[in-house]
Parts: sequence; structure tokens; C-alpha cells
Amino acid sequence: MSIQIKNISKQFGSFTALSDVSMTIEAGELVALLGPSGSGKTTLLRIIAGLEAPDGGSILLHGEQATRQSASRRGIGFVFQHYALFRHMTIFENVAFGLRVQAAANKPSRAEIRERVQELLKLVQLDSFAKMYPEQLSGGQRQRVALARALAVRPKVLLLDEPFSALDAKVRKELRDWLRRIHDELHVTTVLVTHDQEEALEVADTVAILDHGKVEQIGTPQAVYDHPASPFVYDFLGDVNLFHGRLLAELSLDKRGNNIAERVESVIGFVRPHELELSRDLPEGQKAVLASVVRIHAAGPHVRLELRITGNGRPVAAELNRRRYEQLALTPGEFVFVWPQSIRLFDNAGASSLLIDQGGGI
Amino acid sequence: MSGRSNVPSSAILQPTVPQRMGRVALILLALLFLGGFLILPVVAVFAQALSQGWKLYFESIRQEDVLSALRLTALVASIAVPLNVVFGIAASWAITRFDFHGKSLLITLIDIPLSVSPVVAGMMYVEVFGLHGWLGPWLQEHNLHVIFAVPGIVLATVFVTFPFVARELIPFMQAQGSDEETAAVVLGANGWSVFWRVTLPNIKWALLYGTILAASRSIGEFGAVSVVSGHIRGQTTTLPLEVEMLYNEYSFTAAFAAASLLTLAAIVTLVIKKMIEVTSGVHPVPEEEEVES
Repeated sequence: MSIQIKNISKQFGSFTALSDVSMTIEAGELVALLGPSGSGKTTLLRIIAGLEAPDGGSILLHGEQATRQSASRRGIGFVFQHYALFRHMTIFENVAFGLRVQAAANKPSRAEIRERVQELLKLVQLDSFAKMYPEQLSGGQRQRVALARALAVRPKVLLLDEPFSALDAKVRKELRDWLRRIHDELHVTTVLVTHDQEEALEVADTVAILDHGKVEQIGTPQAVYDHPASPFVYDFLGDVNLFHGRLLAELSLDKRGNNIAERVESVIGFVRPHELELSRDLPEGQKAVLASVVRIHAAGPHVRLELRITGNGRPVAAELNRRRYEQLALTPGEFVFVWPQSIRLFDNAGASSLLIDQGGGI
Repeated sequence: MSGRSNVPSSAILQPTVPQRMGRVALILLALLFLGGFLILPVVAVFAQALSQGWKLYFESIRQEDVLSALRLTALVASIAVPLNVVFGIAASWAITRFDFHGKSLLITLIDIPLSVSPVVAGMMYVEVFGLHGWLGPWLQEHNLHVIFAVPGIVLATVFVTFPFVARELIPFMQAQGSDEETAAVVLGANGWSVFWRVTLPNIKWALLYGTILAASRSIGEFGAVSVVSGHIRGQTTTLPLEVEMLYNEYSFTAAFAAASLLTLAAIVTLVIKKMIEVTSGVHPVPEEEEVES
């Protein structure tokens, strides 16, 4: 079932949670609403669910007006950050709840309920836990029960509010993969709210990035990562180095051959740590800055280096693959030449951007 | 641990001799106080009641006036307690689950009976429903008796026990949060289903606890009831009033026999309360902390 969000706005007192947000979510899609806390992503999810009423705008579910429909009639499944399992019910009863409270006309029989609950518990691999109570389960298991409970009523839309944020890193990763597999199996339209960019980029078909109650960018994970529409998106989707001022003006001059610096008065350049090239000696014709190595974090698949540009003393983060790192064999305190393979420029309004490919030079 | 460095750590855990003596002295003092002001009086009630032997004790209790007072007390409690349960749940549900104008006013209103002297509460009802009160003439016309009759006693008792259930439930429901109820709504449950299947099972122990307190208070209430009752023997005397009347008539054995019934009720209440605490974890006894200095 598709979800159309039309010009939704919402105020909490003097705080603007959402201002004029519009978005269309296609049937069967898995969309991540990504943003920092206070960006309005959870409010938007609760408005889609009917747990919050918008001040303006409308929600259409499968093309039908649903803005004033109560949450209990929207046919949605909702998964909460802190599970919200019924603590006095067994796991079986938790999953069965949505079936048991249905109006007499469409209420399934006892046998049907039993069958459906067992099928779902099998899906979340908790069939042997049916008789236990929520407090006897781990966080990851509880969230799987919560998902089974939400799916029991065959929702047309599945909404998840930061479902994995209360779990530890390893379980979080497992559940993330597992959510994707379940989605591929059931094809239920899914909206996932998260502040974890890695989670959003890895799981979702489409990522919508929100900030201050506005949608900053919508696109596939690759599109938003490779072509961020604003400095905010660039910054939010991963580690980044910022360069201001004169250095950038020169840079833009070099690439295009005409003086961008005069047209764009002040620009900010964004370079991701892995887009930085490091070398002990300077190749012919390459412009670079000299930096000292402050710290090396060598644990993990990539090696992270903290550098400090000699002269202005600005900190810079670089990321190398292991082979390159071993080739360079850098140690803290050493000096190294640094230049970007690519850089993205934004003017002060955050509007225009251009990409300078490798060889641009500084 | 912040022990001085020259003291071995095992010595820190062991109290010194003066410390130990201080402890023993304080514990003795507390026991003495408890014995003198709580246990001794309770024993005295039963001793006095039984001073003329069991036969007279049972005869005193079986007097028609005492029995009728007992019946009235039971009747009043059986009306006042359910009313308070309904009101308490409704108020706590509204206060902890919804935002509305006048919420803080409602919270303050719930506490009024705790801050107003019961005698004043009784007088308020006399002023409103009494023969010369605001509604008195109208009630008279329609032959309705509130003051110096059972309805007045029920009203006064309801007023005095008003806060007990709500005050027990509000903090409990606030701590539990409304996530489970929200989840139930999203799963398609209507208001009644949410209440019966999710809210009530979650608050049942706290509710029972508050109910016990309200029941105990409504059985023992004296001040407010005394003002509105009119002390008509066999008609408007509750058990506490009967005790006082017997006492004023120098029927000490009878007075203490009746008082022993109230004391027994209090002891039963305490035992039930303790059982709820143990089985449910409502108001748990703090676990003994490790000795640390």
C-alpha cells in the first residue's frame, strides 16, 4: 500500500516539528526517515500511524484520505523503540493480541489464531519462547516479538520507530539484516525511522533525510551518499573534512580555468576521509598541503589517521585501506603530503555544488 | 570506598567498639518506643476487652447496638470503597494518559481531603445538606434525609477517602508510561479493550493496595462521620462512634470489645497490605545494603 504525505506541518508550542513536508512512498518500498534528534522524523512517523494529528496537510493511504482516521483503523503495524510488549502476557499472547481484539465479524477462530501466532513466532525464530514472559527475553528477542506482534494483523504498512537503537551494536546489525530479509519475503510497505546513517543506507531502498522539520533530500542510498544535495546531508551521511576560504577559491580556479572565486564569494569544500590521498613524496605537478600525523587508529578493516595541517593547525581525518597504510608505514609525528581525490563545494546558501575529480589539485 | 590509607580494609568494614555500642543503644531506643507507643496500647485494648472474661466479651459484641453499628460500618465501606475505586482509576487514567486544561487543578483537588481536617469536612456537608443549609429546604420538601442519616455518613466517608486510590495509582501509572496502551490501540483495540486487557492487569496490585488503604480508612473514620451522623443509636452510629458512646457511658468493657473489632480490622489490613507488597513488588522493601563506611 502506498503512502502519500502531502504538505504536513506540525507545531509543538513554539517548536516547529514539521513544516510543509511532502513525500510519496510506493507500495512495497522500504523507506528510511533519517535525521538527527529534533528533525521531526518520529513526529512524521507518528502522524502516518495516526498517533499524532497534523496541524495541516493530509495523509493518503493507498490513495485514500486517512488524515482523520483513528490509529486503530489504519491497518498499520508499529514497532516501538522500547518494544512496548505487554508485560503481563506471555509471548504467545502478545503476538495474538491484535487478532483477539478484532471486531467479532472478522475475528479469527481460536485455531486460526494459534496457527497464525505459531507461524509468526517461527518467522522470528522464537517458536520455543511462546510460554515465556517479555522480561525473560533479551532486548533483541523482545524486539523480534514486537515485530511478530505488529505483523500478526497483516498490516498494509509497517512503521518502525528507532527499533534497534536500544540494542548493542552486534545485535543491531543482525536485526537490521534480518529486517531486510523479512521485508523481501513479505513485501509490506515499510517506513523505518533512524538517526543511524549506516543503518539507513544499508537497509532502505529509499532514504529521506530530514532536518529541522524539512526534507533535505530523498533518493536511493547511493544517490544521497554520492550526490548530497546540501552541506547538511553531506555532513550527516558520514565523516567529512571541511575546508573554508581562500584555499578553495584557488581550487575552483584550477579546475575550471575561470575564476569561480569571484562569483562564489565564500565556499565550503567537503572531502570524505577516504577521498584524501596521502604520500610521503609529492608527485610531479600535484598541489598538496603538508600535514603531521597526530594519531593512528589501526584496528579494523580501514585505518583512520588524525592529521594536523602545518601552518593553520587544522585537524583533518583521513582513511586508508590496509594495503596503502602498510605501503606508507607512517608513524605519529611524521609529516605527509595530503590532497583530495575529489571535493564537493557549496556556497554559503548551500545551493550550488560542483565536483572536482581526481587531478584537480590544490 | 574512602577509607584512610593507613587503615587496613578489613578494619573499615568492622565497626569499632564505641560504634557498636552506639548501634545497640539506638536499636534499644527504637524498640522501647515501638513497644511503649504501639504494641503496648494494642495489647491493652485486647486486655481491657477481655478483662471480664470471654463470655462477657462476646456478649458485649453481640449487643444489638454494636451489631447494628458493625452493619452500618460495613454498608458505608461497601459503598464508599467501590466509588473511590472508580473515581481513582478514572482520575489517574485522565491525569497520566491525557493532557488537558485544569490538570494541575485536578491533582490539587484530589489532595484536599488530606489537608482538610475531617471535622471541617463534616461541617461542610452540614452547611450544604443540613436542615438550615443551602439545599436543606429543598431536601426537606422532597422528604430526603442526608444529614443525620446514612447518605450523609456515606458522603463524608467518600470525601475523606477520596485520594487514597488515585494517589496510589498516579505515580505508578506515570512510571509505567503509556507505550503499551499505544501499542494496543495501533493493534486495533478499542478503549474498553485497552483498559481491560492492558491497563487494568498492569495496575492491579497498585489498585488493590490503594483499595485496602481506602477500606481501612473508611472503616475507621471518626471525625467527619461524627459531625454528620447525629449519633442515633442503632441507626446512624458507625463502629468508631459506638466505641466513643460506650466509652462516654463508662461501659469500658463494651467499649473496648467494640474497639478490639476495629483493631482486628486494622491488623487484617496490615497483613493483606504486606502480602501485596511481597507478592507484587508494589512498594518493595528496600534490599539490605552492603555495609560500607
